[in-house]
Amino acid sequence: MVRSVAERAFPSIRHVLEEFGDMMILTGKTIWSALRPPYPYGGEFVSQFLFALRLVWFPLLVSTVAINYGAPGLQAGDFLTLFGALDRLGGFFVLAAIREIGPLITSIVVAGVAGTAITADLGARKVREELDALQVLGVDPVKNLVVPRFLALMVVTGLFDIYALLFGIFGGILAALSFGQPLGPFWGTLFANASVTDLWGSVLKTTIFGAIVAIVCCYKGMSASGGAEGVGRAVNEAVVISFLGIGAFNYVFTQTLLATHPNILVIK
Amino acid sequence: MAVHEPQRSSPGSEEQEFEFHTGEIRASGEPDAIEFVDVHKSFGRNHVLRGLNMSLPENKISMILGPSGTGKSVCIKHIVGLLYPDSGDVIVHGESIPSLRDAELFETRKKFGVLFQDGALFGSMNLWDNVAFPLRQHTEKGEDEIGEIVNRRMREVGLGGEGAKMPNELSGGMRKRAGFARSLVLDPEIVLFDEPDSGLDPVRTALLCELIKEIHAENGGCYVVITHDIMSARRVAEHISVLWKGKIVESGPAEELFASENPFVRQFLSGESAGPLGME
Repeated sequence: MVRSVAERAFPSIRHVLEEFGDMMILTGKTIWSALRPPYPYGGEFVSQFLFALRLVWFPLLVSTVAINYGAPGLQAGDFLTLFGALDRLGGFFVLAAIREIGPLITSIVVAGVAGTAITADLGARKVREELDALQVLGVDPVKNLVVPRFLALMVVTGLFDIYALLFGIFGGILAALSFGQPLGPFWGTLFANASVTDLWGSVLKTTIFGAIVAIVCCYKGMSASGGAEGVGRAVNEAVVISFLGIGAFNYVFTQTLLATHPNILVIK
Repeated sequence: MAVHEPQRSSPGSEEQEFEFHTGEIRASGEPDAIEFVDVHKSFGRNHVLRGLNMSLPENKISMILGPSGTGKSVCIKHIVGLLYPDSGDVIVHGESIPSLRDAELFETRKKFGVLFQDGALFGSMNLWDNVAFPLRQHTEKGEDEIGEIVNRRMREVGLGGEGAKMPNELSGGMRKRAGFARSLVLDPEIVLFDEPDSGLDPVRTALLCELIKEIHAENGGCYVVITHDIMSARRVAEHISVLWKGKIVESGPAEELFASENPFVRQFLSGESAGPLGME
């Protein structure tokens, strides 16, 4: 009786928990399949890596330069001008661009561009019963389809983070120049505040964002149903859940990194 | 195969709902290749299989017939382990499919050939590579031998010389025939056809049915065809199981089912509008 009432009252909560559990199981299976021989996914890994590279580089370039120029660049620059501390803009870019904006923009662009393509591709294969046919033909779709996408998206997202940091700082340089500032103080405060922890923290966080995006997008594609409309719905849900996952993990990672490395809390 | 006692109905509305489900399983004279034992399966609130008991004999073309939405395709997915029953068991050649580990299941699947509704060809490969795929995946055969087998199977289904085409360049009938060729290349012991007649015109349906009969006569094994097309059933069925509301109404050799006195079986196999089956 109680269970029946609970099922009626909270069907969506139950569904969300079931999906979360399924994604955790898929993550476990993917890591296990990736490590366990045989390793038939090399070709597909390279193909997915190049596919993501080709799709993502330009949107990421535009968005990182524009957002870093606009948000931490112009907005924070305007605020710092009040205190006559515009030379601190470079230091602020360590906090804003390297620790947060770079990883977030990278993973959001990867999810929006490459992740959706993965969901649409796997979803279309699912509704055409290609995935069922693969399984019946004795091919494990996790090992042959999910693992290469998971590894490719992790690696490409981690590498793209460095790319995003470089172009993000370029946005900061544009902002400093637009305030008529020399670049010496910008570089000075940037390097005074930047540490190796910031760099590996940023790359590690973004790599894990890539893993989250890959699992969510593969899961949503492989569980799509209901024809073309179902594939569209799966793509939409994949993006939303990826963003939620990225946001939630970002909170946990940032808190953990700050707690375990208190030296990066000190602003120089 | 033993003749089973009719299923007992529980009292009340369920008794009315399963009024015509005698569950009678008539002897086919062959051992069972596939058995469903009290299988229940639900998708959310939709209880699709509701205690399904069904046996499909060896060396026959069996048909699972029933109205749309009664769980026929769900049966095929249970047989190959793409779906698992909520309760009950699915036994193939004495092995319980739901109890198999993943590695054992992938091994067991080699004995199946499955023709999916739209062929389920891999969109990234041409027709020839699609048909060759199972051989490359599961055998140590060289490309020459693979080529020989693929060409023979493609000729059998009338697609000789079409190997370079991509799946999106083919008509629905050609995709089905290509799927059929792919399902046969490993000489499977069990071949499953999920609505081979859907989306085909009557002539091509008849030709595909003839093809199924010819290839079965040549290779033998357990062929299971899922359909709601009575003409196809009359053409190829040697054994029929009539499925409705997730349970077997009656099952047995085709000629006995076509002569059945059960009002639902009679209505369905004659395609009449008057009878227990309505639009609901």
